[in-house]
Amino acid sequence: MSEVDPFSEAPVITAKGLRKMYGPHLALDDIDLEIPRGAVGILGPNGAGKSTLFKCLLGLITTTSGEGSVLGLDIRTQGEQIRSKIGYMPEYNALDPNLFAVDQVRYSGELLGMNSKNATQRAHEVLEYVGLKDQRYRKIETFSTGMLQATKLACALVHDPDILICDEPTNGLDQRARGFMLQTLNRTVREGNRSVLMSSHVMDDVQDLCDSIVMIHKGRIVVQSSIEDLVQQVDKEIEMVIWGGASKMESELSSMGLENRRLGRVIRIKVESETTVDKALEAAVSAGVQVRQMKEYEPDLEDIFLLVMDKLGAQIKGTEDLMTSEHTGGD
Amino acid sequence: MEAAFGSGDGDEEATAVVAKSQASLGQIFEQKYRPWDGELGPRWMRNYAIFRHHVYGVFTGKGHRQYHPMVRLLILIIFLASLTPIPMLFLSSFIGDEGGFFEKMWGINRYNLWGQVLGYFPRNLCMWPLLTAVVVGGMISDDRQHGTSAIYFSRPISRLDYTSMKYLSVAVILGFVIVFSYFAYYTSAIVFKSEGWAYLADTLPIFLGGMLAGIVLVITYTSIGLALSSISQSRFFAAIGFLSIIYGTKLVALLVELQFGTTFMYATSPYDCLAHMGQFLLGIPSNYEHPVSISIVSLMVMNSVSIWLLVSRVTSLEVTRE
Repeated sequence: MSEVDPFSEAPVITAKGLRKMYGPHLALDDIDLEIPRGAVGILGPNGAGKSTLFKCLLGLITTTSGEGSVLGLDIRTQGEQIRSKIGYMPEYNALDPNLFAVDQVRYSGELLGMNSKNATQRAHEVLEYVGLKDQRYRKIETFSTGMLQATKLACALVHDPDILICDEPTNGLDQRARGFMLQTLNRTVREGNRSVLMSSHVMDDVQDLCDSIVMIHKGRIVVQSSIEDLVQQVDKEIEMVIWGGASKMESELSSMGLENRRLGRVIRIKVESETTVDKALEAAVSAGVQVRQMKEYEPDLEDIFLLVMDKLGAQIKGTEDLMTSEHTGGD
Repeated sequence: MEAAFGSGDGDEEATAVVAKSQASLGQIFEQKYRPWDGELGPRWMRNYAIFRHHVYGVFTGKGHRQYHPMVRLLILIIFLASLTPIPMLFLSSFIGDEGGFFEKMWGINRYNLWGQVLGYFPRNLCMWPLLTAVVVGGMISDDRQHGTSAIYFSRPISRLDYTSMKYLSVAVILGFVIVFSYFAYYTSAIVFKSEGWAYLADTLPIFLGGMLAGIVLVITYTSIGLALSSISQSRFFAAIGFLSIIYGTKLVALLVELQFGTTFMYATSPYDCLAHMGQFLLGIPSNYEHPVSISIVSLMVMNSVSIWLLVSRVTSLEVTRE
């Protein structure tokens, strides 16, 4: 296999008929994948096979059958070369609490084969990039969750990888830290011209950063497309904020044959024809409710996810069902 | 003189203190992606980084694996204690104690060379097991506890490289204290006593036998210690586990010997197997009734089982989650 230029338009990651079995358990089933350059979100419930896919792409585990390549390197035989070109940011804590941040990042660079001088210089650069310039000489054990995530990102970026794989990069972050993390990843893609493969349970994060998504369910890829294309496929809806009898309004809409879904005082009505808006207003009059707000609803990734999961018949009602206590911080 | 006792009140030279038109605002953070186009080094550089990280930490508390200051102090004390025969040799040669008490106690002979590495008190009761326990304790268990194995395996580090470099790091630290002190003891004796080639030719085979015993001791203690470190998530468990194995097997074997008058149970004690093999290598009478081959086979089994356990546990270390 010849190496792929990471800046060309060719897919950076490909897989064909990839299968991975752990004993009798099928973890990945016939995966066909073409991941373009840029930011790509990997979505799926817990146990869907995301981590197994990452391990296969990093060349850490042998695949049962099928083939795949990362930057033109064979995942079955060239795992070490692949890992030299990839930066991996693990979901779980992977830092030595007794080290200074700069030493941890330097050591991460040295483990890739950087000499000590280069690794030290680069550690300072990437720590500044992830916003930890002033915390370089603090012990990692004193860091907040946001700073830990930033340090892990710095470790992944130390050798300026062609592809950055981030496993739940915004996990446990507050709003400000989350915004900065996404901004940093976004800058890495747009300014650094690098590719980012991000798994996340938070749809907003994926939507903010990624151009396309890969959705995995029970070891199979169920969606592989750009977010823009997917949004086009979702039914158009109008959103009404109702005051004083939302349930009455809901039944009124149903009796008029309008497909709708209700979230408290908010009702979304599927646009089936040009007369839908008029019919909805008529229903509001009949129900005797106030319409406080009415607008065209723009579907987001959450809607796409629910739609796909609905088609698959999964028992998942929203992204919160994907969260474990580790994501939410327990009770 | 206007300074202290002048008649003026200073108003004629008054100047207002105002903010500068361009006050210093500090440095504004500007996030900028900086590419790096350097070359990554080969496999030996990556392996050397692991080795250096673990070994340098013993000498410096900054930038490398951290050993607790008390651990570093203990290693220093053990190292200095292992060198104590050297000043006694110096004293012996200084006072001209030819064939006297000092010569018998610390001079170069089969028994003293054996004792420098394999003597039970204080070396194998207080020094070597403690040294191994504190060095090996967190070597792999820390990676399990903190998830730092992901730092290694998400990079081009194979599990073989990871395990062998950790093994080498421990062996070098133990070897520096145990084998180097033995070497220093032997060479000091030659220098202090101004011995010639004939003495060297006479004693070198005995010295090499002792050194081989020392190397096997380092290998065995490293194997058992690392295996224990690999199955735990705490430094304490690995350290206590190691001490329990060394002292526990010795104690049980001693009790069996006292009760039943047989030394066969010593084949389960790593220390006694090493001591038995050392007695054979240095050509001194054995304290054990059972043949030395049983001790050697037992050592091989102990090392094989420990390395098998170590390898299987390192294989199970995860990248994505631990």
